[in-house]
Amino acid sequence: MRPSFFHHLHPPTIPAAQARWRYTLGAGGTAVFLMLVLGLTGILEAFYYSPNPQEAALSVQTITYLVPFGGLVRNLHYWSAQLLILVAGIHLLRVVFTAAYSRPRRFNYLLGLGLFILALLLDFTGYILRWDEGICYPLVTGTNLLKTIPLIGNFIYRIAIGGGEACTTALLRFYIWHIFGLTLLAVILSVWHAFRVRRDGGIAVPPPHLRTDTARISRNELVRREVLAILIVSILLILLASFFPAPIAPAMTGKPVMTENARAPWFFLWVQQMLKWGDPFAFGVLIPLILLAILALVPYIFPQPADSDIGRWFPKSNRVAQIVVIVITLTVIALTLLALVS
Amino acid sequence: MKKYLALASGLLLLTLAFIGWMDSRRPTPIALTPTLTGQPEYCLTCHSDLPEISTSHPVKTFGCVICHGGERLALDANLAHSSMRGGVNPSDLSVVEASCGGSNCHSGDQAAGRDHIQRVMTSVQSTYAGAIANIRYTFGAQPDLKAYFGIATVTDEQTKTGITSLQAFDPSHESSPSIQKFGVNCLTCHLHAQPREGEAYARQTGCAACHATSKHTLSTAIPYTQCNACHNRGNYNLRTMTFEERADHPTTRLHDYYQPIAQFTQCEYTLDCVDCHTRTEAMGDGDIHVNQKSIEYAQCKTCHGTPTKLPRTQTLTDPNDIASTLAMLNPVTNLKLGDTILVTEKGEPLWNTRVLADGTYALIGKATRQYFTFRPVMGSGCTQSGEDQSSAYCHECHAVER
Repeated sequence: MRPSFFHHLHPPTIPAAQARWRYTLGAGGTAVFLMLVLGLTGILEAFYYSPNPQEAALSVQTITYLVPFGGLVRNLHYWSAQLLILVAGIHLLRVVFTAAYSRPRRFNYLLGLGLFILALLLDFTGYILRWDEGICYPLVTGTNLLKTIPLIGNFIYRIAIGGGEACTTALLRFYIWHIFGLTLLAVILSVWHAFRVRRDGGIAVPPPHLRTDTARISRNELVRREVLAILIVSILLILLASFFPAPIAPAMTGKPVMTENARAPWFFLWVQQMLKWGDPFAFGVLIPLILLAILALVPYIFPQPADSDIGRWFPKSNRVAQIVVIVITLTVIALTLLALVS
Repeated sequence: MKKYLALASGLLLLTLAFIGWMDSRRPTPIALTPTLTGQPEYCLTCHSDLPEISTSHPVKTFGCVICHGGERLALDANLAHSSMRGGVNPSDLSVVEASCGGSNCHSGDQAAGRDHIQRVMTSVQSTYAGAIANIRYTFGAQPDLKAYFGIATVTDEQTKTGITSLQAFDPSHESSPSIQKFGVNCLTCHLHAQPREGEAYARQTGCAACHATSKHTLSTAIPYTQCNACHNRGNYNLRTMTFEERADHPTTRLHDYYQPIAQFTQCEYTLDCVDCHTRTEAMGDGDIHVNQKSIEYAQCKTCHGTPTKLPRTQTLTDPNDIASTLAMLNPVTNLKLGDTILVTEKGEPLWNTRVLADGTYALIGKATRQYFTFRPVMGSGCTQSGEDQSSAYCHECHAVER
């Protein structure tokens, strides 16, 4: 039987050992599915959302409460976005811990890291689109951080906010970045990332002469596994969306309010926690950028993994990279927990 | 694998059915687009059982949000209510300007009598200026009985009483322990304050303290029971600086009306407070007054006159007369042009009275709609001298025995 379009997107066969859940964790594929859900629910939301500062929060209320199944669509969009950050993070850790980033996949590792950053930015801009009382504090804090950058800070701030003040007029910019600029970049990078997976030889495995397990599975089996993952993730998403609605707050009226207990969105809580320690540029911009640079340089500065170690969990030959990434991950988690309890 | 796929598909279908069921349980949204705002609101989805708040504020015209605030499109109770002005009471004086004010509403033209909020803000019911001045004078914190402090800062640029402003009274700035104690124990009887605990004290704050005669009802037909939530509820003990609640348990209106030591006549407990006391006495006249005595003036003679003088009267000729407006807001009597009514010494209309053809008078209860007739003192057997005509003198002969 000639393969369908969907089957044709997959390689005819892939190594059985690297097609297992316990190897891939299903993270990359789940991320793709979540992005599709985000695109679809985002388009549905766009039918009702109004990027006008006076109407934005009210249009979000309209979507949430009045449009048939609008609340469900918005909650699915919200939860897909949160899960995407989580799943993309897991995907990144998997790639590091299985030495899958090594040559020739070094560039694709950078593309993936870029996608992760885009996911964070999309999540943040989407959060701002609520344009209600809950978003003002993180918006002002986040964009004021840009101003602290020496020399070019004010310029970047103007690009991000435009004229006027953060909580009064910046909505349209965030809207365009969210639905157009960042989304377009994410689509391009995603397609590129997937293309490079195939171009770089498919999923990371040792070269043929070093493989201990030569079994392969067909793309029919691979698609079945993907469908199963999609079904499970769909059920999880629907349950999350039904029982844990996305945050919403009263519309901003007149002067924006800076509530004292305001928090950054959860994925930036670790930065918020560091900001309590002192200089906003050092703790809010420089340290996060240094951590990002270390992550980006993982394939380049640490000892190269042995060919036989590619595609195996926690191989000895890239121990240094593993330890560095574990330390960064645990630090970010610890800071997030600190911010949550304080 | 196929087994798992079938199982997962079944579970997904179950989840979708569950969503459909959850959605079917949501209430059907009820939209209302009030003519004044032109913006749809969905409050009636849950609140369709509330009575119309008053004939002057029909829900089809006003809706809910223009007074109450709140998130008009939210169908989640917490979010919908989160931005309401003054919680359940938008007339609380901290938010009243946003809720009830505006030049088309109750912060309107003074000459037309539409400056209700300014009048309430400056009234002694709101400033409590007299009591504060009295206590501060008594305990040596000020040299005279002039009003310097009110419950909140208030100004009156067009003063006729000479008092242009009051500072907010802050008991923590007082050195006398008695004044501090007064601040703690004795500030529950003004319009800014939450009432004391107990059913007898139950009232709202702000405008609603007087005008909310029952749940979600605003009225100018205010029964004496509304006034009694503050008045006649007990006394301040100046020695201990505490409020001593009234201990008797009145079961009839006669006993309920005034405290045991008070003297009063039959009409004073048969009528409601608002039948005799005028709108400026109760709500203020827009000027800051030094104390209650400075604004309260209705006496027996206001309606009955004296042995030598009949009460003032006025024949209605102007359809825009305030008397007609007041009669329209509380239509207990069909007031027409050409009718002659009693007016107070200051010229305020007692619009619920009539001068009858035989020279006697009629009064219709504003809250009870009862019809009473009464006579002037002139021509009666009253021998009280013309100089001594305050109510206290009338009580000497006419007080009710209890």
